[in-house]
Amino acid sequence: MSRNQRIALVVAALVVAVVAFAVAQPGDGDGGGEERAAQTAPAETRTEPGGRTTPTGTQPRGRPQPEITRIRLRGGTVIGGPKRIRATTGDTVRIVVNADARDEIHLHGYDLYENAAPGRPARFVFRADIEGVFEVESHVAEDAGKDPLIGRLVVEPA
Amino acid sequence: MIPLAHGLVGRADLPIPEWLFGWAAAMVLVVSFVALAVLWPDPRLQREGWRPLPRGIGRLLASRPVEVACGAIGVLLLAVVVYSGLRGTQSSTANFAPTFIYVIFWVGLVPASVLLGDVFKAFNPWRAIGRAVGWVARGAARGELPAPLAYPRRLGRWPAVAGIFAFAAMELVASNGDRPENLAIATLVYSALTFVAMALYGVETWVERGEAFSVYFNLFARLSPIETRDGVVGLRKPLAGLPTVEPLPGTVPLLAVMIGSVTFDGAAEAPIWTGIAPDIARLFEDLGLSPQGALELTFLLGLIAAILIVYAFYRLGVVGARSVGGGFSVDRLAGAFVHTLVPIALAYVAAHYFTLLLFQGQAISFLASDPLGDGADLFGTADSQIDYGLIGANATWYWQVGFVVTGHVAALTLAHDRALAIYDDAGLAVRSQYWMLAVMVGFTSLALWLLSQANV
Repeated sequence: MSRNQRIALVVAALVVAVVAFAVAQPGDGDGGGEERAAQTAPAETRTEPGGRTTPTGTQPRGRPQPEITRIRLRGGTVIGGPKRIRATTGDTVRIVVNADARDEIHLHGYDLYENAAPGRPARFVFRADIEGVFEVESHVAEDAGKDPLIGRLVVEPA
Repeated sequence: MIPLAHGLVGRADLPIPEWLFGWAAAMVLVVSFVALAVLWPDPRLQREGWRPLPRGIGRLLASRPVEVACGAIGVLLLAVVVYSGLRGTQSSTANFAPTFIYVIFWVGLVPASVLLGDVFKAFNPWRAIGRAVGWVARGAARGELPAPLAYPRRLGRWPAVAGIFAFAAMELVASNGDRPENLAIATLVYSALTFVAMALYGVETWVERGEAFSVYFNLFARLSPIETRDGVVGLRKPLAGLPTVEPLPGTVPLLAVMIGSVTFDGAAEAPIWTGIAPDIARLFEDLGLSPQGALELTFLLGLIAAILIVYAFYRLGVVGARSVGGGFSVDRLAGAFVHTLVPIALAYVAAHYFTLLLFQGQAISFLASDPLGDGADLFGTADSQIDYGLIGANATWYWQVGFVVTGHVAALTLAHDRALAIYDDAGLAVRSQYWMLAVMVGFTSLALWLLSQANV
């Protein structure tokens, strides 16, 4: 193979790579949005911006949208296992943690701490502006040497 | 489940989206076949072509005062790690030791070695102390010290295999592996073992063969265009340092531990592991182990399994390459191509720990000011915070996929060059490469799959 043929082959491969990338990459809010909605299992909670429309305002949702994620702690464990809270960048997330004992709830990454006590749940209201997967932990469980994980906040790019 | 290590971080990456996974996997195949067609027909990387940095800069950078200063910094950091581990708060995120060891040292030194050469050799506290003790002892003895024992050739890099495995087990298996006190004690034990071995076999020999972290970072440093030779810092072709890796006994297992431990760290979050781990742990509990002991044993077995799978897969490719002819033994071929696994190992570390270094690495700013977690503010940075907005999910995905594909290309290039060098017949060289190519595609696909498996 001559030098020119080699260069042509490399250039052709690069062009294929770039075109494939452009074709495969989902556009803003179309394919990606539907995919996310379809993937959301019934047990999961989707937090929506309270009353407002999303910045793009075009993503159709085919099912009711619970606004608040409720997590219940009994005897240091989560009823129904750790919750998954899904959000898209820009959403307002609302989480309420009911506990049957005094506790401190920590949302990693956003680094928010709220106290909970019987009858006085810990309430989190914030804008999801950091992407990633963040753990929600009970500090009482952690200090007792138990699994502190009570939920995961999943913030996906818009 | 009882929490294991990694209490250090409460953040994880989003899995790469399906379309990007598909695109990257396709690219790996395209790149591989194009590489077979266009790579050079004569070996090019087997000679390094090293040249010193101009105008005496190369000599200055490796001069005695610089060497002493770097060694002193290394020793100081070792002392800070041990002191803060023993005397500081036992909260792993508020103490200097865990973040320094697991993030700055273990992960941060990898890109530093690739970009700047073997920096750990300069800052290695054990080497600095060993050399200083040797210097003082020679002065006291007024002459030469008795010669160290000959390093057994069969030992090769096996001490480093043991060291890196122990470190991985501490990080990924031990449930209290991020407790500052435990880390300080482990550091002291490792330091003592290192000094004994240095006394037996000589400081430089042990640093080259047995001291686990020196061997580990040195492998990555061989990717670097910067190398110090005979007291002078110089430049060479990128990648050209790798073909000089001597395939000493234990080298293939070392690479298997390096790749396998990152694989296990990634897979531990994947459904494939989280689905079966509790069942295995329950089995051990039924046999009479405590819940924590059962879980640790389960994770230890998982780590060993991941390492064995990586090792077996490489051996399989080598056995295949041998079958095309050429008259080489399996061991000879396994050693001849082992250096091609270093860029793969780098891709695994870079893709998996990229955001850990980027985010948790920032914590060192406030931890340096308050190493014990007692409210001190030595440098005025104790109130700084981690900026999690530094990089978004999309950019993270592109970097991760970029690392994996780049590592794949580097590994293919090295394997191709080595095949041309060892086979007399160009046809045999190419046919042996189909097997190595399959190995590389396998490892790269595994890396991509792990990136798509994050726990969401």
